[in-house]
Amino acid sequence: MQDEESLVRRAKQRDQKAFAQLYEEHFNKIYRYVALRIGDKTEAEDMTQQVFLNALKSISSFKWKGVPFAAWLFRIAHNQVVDYLRKKSKQATAPLDESLVSSDSNPQLMAEHSLDVEQLLLATRRLTEAQRQVISLRFAGELSINQVAKIMGKSQGAVKALQHSAIVALRKTLLAGNNEEVQRI
Amino acid sequence: MRKSREFDNVLDECLERLLAKGETVEQCLRSFPEHADELEPLLGTALDAKKASAIQPRPEFRDRARYQFYSALQERERKRSRPFFSWGWQPRWVAAVAIVLVLLLAGSGTVAAASGSMPDEPLYPVKLATEQVQLVLTPSALGKAELYARLADKRVLEIASMAGKNKPERIERAARRLNTHLTKIAALASTQGVTAGVAMAPAVEEALVVEEAPVVREAPLLPERAGGGKEARIKVDRRARLRATVVRQANNNTARLSALLEIVPESAKPALLRAIAVSEAGYEKALESLD
Repeated sequence: MQDEESLVRRAKQRDQKAFAQLYEEHFNKIYRYVALRIGDKTEAEDMTQQVFLNALKSISSFKWKGVPFAAWLFRIAHNQVVDYLRKKSKQATAPLDESLVSSDSNPQLMAEHSLDVEQLLLATRRLTEAQRQVISLRFAGELSINQVAKIMGKSQGAVKALQHSAIVALRKTLLAGNNEEVQRI
Repeated sequence: MRKSREFDNVLDECLERLLAKGETVEQCLRSFPEHADELEPLLGTALDAKKASAIQPRPEFRDRARYQFYSALQERERKRSRPFFSWGWQPRWVAAVAIVLVLLLAGSGTVAAASGSMPDEPLYPVKLATEQVQLVLTPSALGKAELYARLADKRVLEIASMAGKNKPERIERAARRLNTHLTKIAALASTQGVTAGVAMAPAVEEALVVEEAPVVREAPLLPERAGGGKEARIKVDRRARLRATVVRQANNNTARLSALLEIVPESAKPALLRAIAVSEAGYEKALESLD
């Protein structure tokens, strides 16, 4: 944490290497979070890029005060996602693009993985907005409960409860999906 | 309620141990035997969700995004330290004096001589200053977009020239300028301007307002609907012509730069490849906005 604090301080003082390091550390996580939230490859790419450009413009406004940099960055991403979803709310949501799956070279693993991404995306659509956010931040963004709580403006207890209910709901949806699959076969 | 809260904590502790510390489900279950039956299926689902969400960005997107971010980073630094030809951060009288100087120089033929100069030549700063003056003196958004398209063409010629001379740093700088020109076209052509993703945390919004203070101000192209029918038709025609120009440039310039890969020295190739990526992405964005 101390390291990140000094890195952020240097970035605020326009140290290019420090900001570049923060970018490299958080890029994939932000992309995964955005991609899982919106399920559209092209939009996720544009939005990820915009998150970092906005962060670059706004870094001077970031105040440490115990709030992790990741929480601040994800807050920017979250606001962009919310803005995007609001604009798209009247349109039907499309399934995840095939190219969103891992670039693993093992074809069998890729096929399994692809199925999981699709299933996960569909299953998360059945969650409440708060549950979906917790799952995206925890699993795609790899954030701790404390960081998720800071981003969502909730207590850690509330986030843990949401995490629990979200996993239960995901399980139910995934099991129901598997049963339908078995019945079709 | 208390029991449920206790289970929330146990589940989270197990997830933390599984996801961050690499422990196994069995290890976790052994630590909480009284919750094992309830925990096991949920941990399985959580691990599946974690595995499925490991979506990787496409390598070409990652490279392009990195290049554009690093360019923005360097541009920010350059704006801060730019000594003379800085239009965004200098007092307005400096810009005015520079305009007068360039106009005076125009009479002596210096500007004409500078117009064909390349980034490694002494008159190149005069060429850039002349371009800035042209932008200042172009009042309409459409006119500015047309000018940016012409400037983008010049930047591509400069990239090609610098690639031939094996000057990667000059290629990078020209590519950054190309990126700026194409971004400006997209911004000018877009009905929404450059305000994508505006729903930010208050602190972020504030900072964005403070940071954005360009002297050369541009308005979006499309809202210019007001006015008589003839005037509107002329604007539509000009916009269509601009689009055709950008389409042609997108094809020619990217092909021109790509063809150079066969002949330029190895050490110039990485910079040239990045310039090609900028050209492709920039023209694509500009065209999307002109659709």
